[in-house]
Amino acid sequence: MKNNYEEEVKTLVSEIIEVPVEKLMPDADFFKDLGVDSLKAIEIVAAFEKKYRIIIPEKDIPNIRNIRQIIEYTRPLKGH
Amino acid sequence: MRWGREKIETILPHREPFLFIDEVIEIDGTKKVIASKNIKDNEFFFEGHFPGRPIMPGVLIIEAMAQASIILYFICKQEIAKTNPNYYLGKVKAEFLLPVFPGDKLILETNNVKIIDEAAVIDALARVGDRIVAKANFVLGIKKSE
Repeated sequence: MKNNYEEEVKTLVSEIIEVPVEKLMPDADFFKDLGVDSLKAIEIVAAFEKKYRIIIPEKDIPNIRNIRQIIEYTRPLKGH
Repeated sequence: MRWGREKIETILPHREPFLFIDEVIEIDGTKKVIASKNIKDNEFFFEGHFPGRPIMPGVLIIEAMAQASIILYFICKQEIAKTNPNYYLGKVKAEFLLPVFPGDKLILETNNVKIIDEAAVIDALARVGDRIVAKANFVLGIKKSE
């Protein structure tokens, strides 16, 4: 289910964690598979909050662990 | 509300000559902290940077903004901050616009972009009077003391 938003999400995450877009599989775990630590995680959260003018509460951050979950979580918040 | 050195030293683990906050001069809830540091003629770094032509090193302006950022973290996460965690810089994007000289009063403004228990993203700027001398975006890490 490729679409523009999925590509946007991948591009944004790719720039922060310095992993090529083509290697960002939808279910790859940020922490176990992609080497994301808490500092990269907060950078991703801050980037999404800024770009889409949304708020991601701290309690929800540990549950967003891959590209698919970012898309499912943020799509309704950004109103698309 | 203003905080002096006594209060600041309960928040920051830094001490002279590496404490770069003299006073907290404004606190806007959990959004913003403004602090200041008077750059004295006899600051230790002027001796070598540079002999006869003293200029505050840019890395120390970053340090001053980072220390102000820790105070903003303290305001947002007091319970954790009171356990004296270790603060470390994860990432800095900085821009230097003007030099800082002896006698300048450095004003350090920090804005909360995102602060969670273990990390913080903070936008900061340093100014002298109305002139912005440096800007930075920090990613800070916070780890409990062992």
